[in-house]
Amino acid sequence: MKISVYAIFILFLISFQATLLHSLNPFGIQPDLCLVIACLVGFRTGQIPGAIVGLCLGFIQDVFSAGMFGLNMFTKAGAGFLAGVFARNLANRAPHAAFVPIVACSVLSSTVFLLSSRMGMGLGEMLHAFSFILLPQAILDGLAAIVANWVIVQWLVEAPSA
Amino acid sequence: MSGRFRPGVFWGSGVKRVSVAVLAVAFVVFALLPRQSQLLLHTIGQPLADLVAIPLEGMATLDRDMREWWMQYIALQGLSEQNRELREQVQRLTGEVNRLRAQALTAERLAALLKFQKDESVRTVAAKVIGRSLSNWYQGVILNKGEDDGLREQMGVITPAGVVGRIVRTSGATSIALLTIDPNVAIAGMVQRTREEGMVQGTSQGLVRMKYLPPLSSVKKGDAVVTSGLTGGFPRGVLIGEVSRVEESEDNLFQTAEIVPAVQLRYLDEVLIVVSPRSPDAMIPLDQALVSPRLQNPAP
Repeated sequence: MKISVYAIFILFLISFQATLLHSLNPFGIQPDLCLVIACLVGFRTGQIPGAIVGLCLGFIQDVFSAGMFGLNMFTKAGAGFLAGVFARNLANRAPHAAFVPIVACSVLSSTVFLLSSRMGMGLGEMLHAFSFILLPQAILDGLAAIVANWVIVQWLVEAPSA
Repeated sequence: MSGRFRPGVFWGSGVKRVSVAVLAVAFVVFALLPRQSQLLLHTIGQPLADLVAIPLEGMATLDRDMREWWMQYIALQGLSEQNRELREQVQRLTGEVNRLRAQALTAERLAALLKFQKDESVRTVAAKVIGRSLSNWYQGVILNKGEDDGLREQMGVITPAGVVGRIVRTSGATSIALLTIDPNVAIAGMVQRTREEGMVQGTSQGLVRMKYLPPLSSVKKGDAVVTSGLTGGFPRGVLIGEVSRVEESEDNLFQTAEIVPAVQLRYLDEVLIVVSPRSPDAMIPLDQALVSPRLQNPAP
């Protein structure tokens, strides 16, 4: 039952990111919701669940990506894992605490894409992609993570029983 | 060793180590055998792509409906409908003007005329755009047609107004096309007026540039750039865009022209995939080919 709910959620997430998110964002850059979810799972539940969720989401992203197969899979798994490692060293689990770790994971993950998709196109192209794709996306990922983390804290996490 | 099962400890030690080990082994295999692992992942991903295509198509319809609703009811009710019709008309007329211009120019060259007539008779498959690229690193669209409909990688994607891009990945029911504004797409282009050829490529800024134009080229703002038909995927003479700026390359060996794409790539709903750009003979259906006079009376 739980697996079906997760599967439906993943299908919805992928479909939303490929369709409505593009219409809602007028600036051309959008947050990578799959990365945000993988990182948040890692952030809240630990490295391994984060890596597994990242692996699954990344695999589906790979299926619909123009890049090399496996790139999303391993970067998302790595990001989920890293978010878990970051969270272990954080005392504060408030919604805004997710911002810095997830921005860091996003930057690391996007660097792999920057190198794989813009390699050999000149320094100018790479610098432009760094400034106008990598950094804005990392900030958007961080902001999306704060919102998602807030939703989890407010509505999804059960209050500890007295 | 305690006989009592403790899930927390179990998850924390054994499974954790095994998971990390499996991930590490998978990564090493992926790094050492890239071709084989790509093929394996592609094979596993095909049925998944077909499955995800179902909600994707539903969501794309919802997205289109919402966009139309927004255009019709929120933003200038009457004008939006008129604007849509005019935009469609402009796109149709742009395609027609380009076709006529190309015909007029090529009519001066008999050999080119014959080639052009062949190129005009391309076979295409219509497809709906059901999604956009899931990542900011690639400017692409997801189409609702795939290998089952005869689509293959490297096929050209066009609309009546001009070139859209090229297919880079296919599954049974879907395919991914990269747009001309993506830096990973390169198309052989030609300045329609001067007949000079160059390489049309996207940039990270979302622009399209025509590179490797001769240094003495007289290309100027407003010139139309069309496909040269030299590389696979596209017939000759399909409009790519209009030159908006010309500059010399850093080494002064070539000129580079900035191009405004002929197609509004942000609002794509339907596209055509060029299935056979070069072999018009292959378009004849089998039943017609069997009664074709050429086949009935073969040359001695």
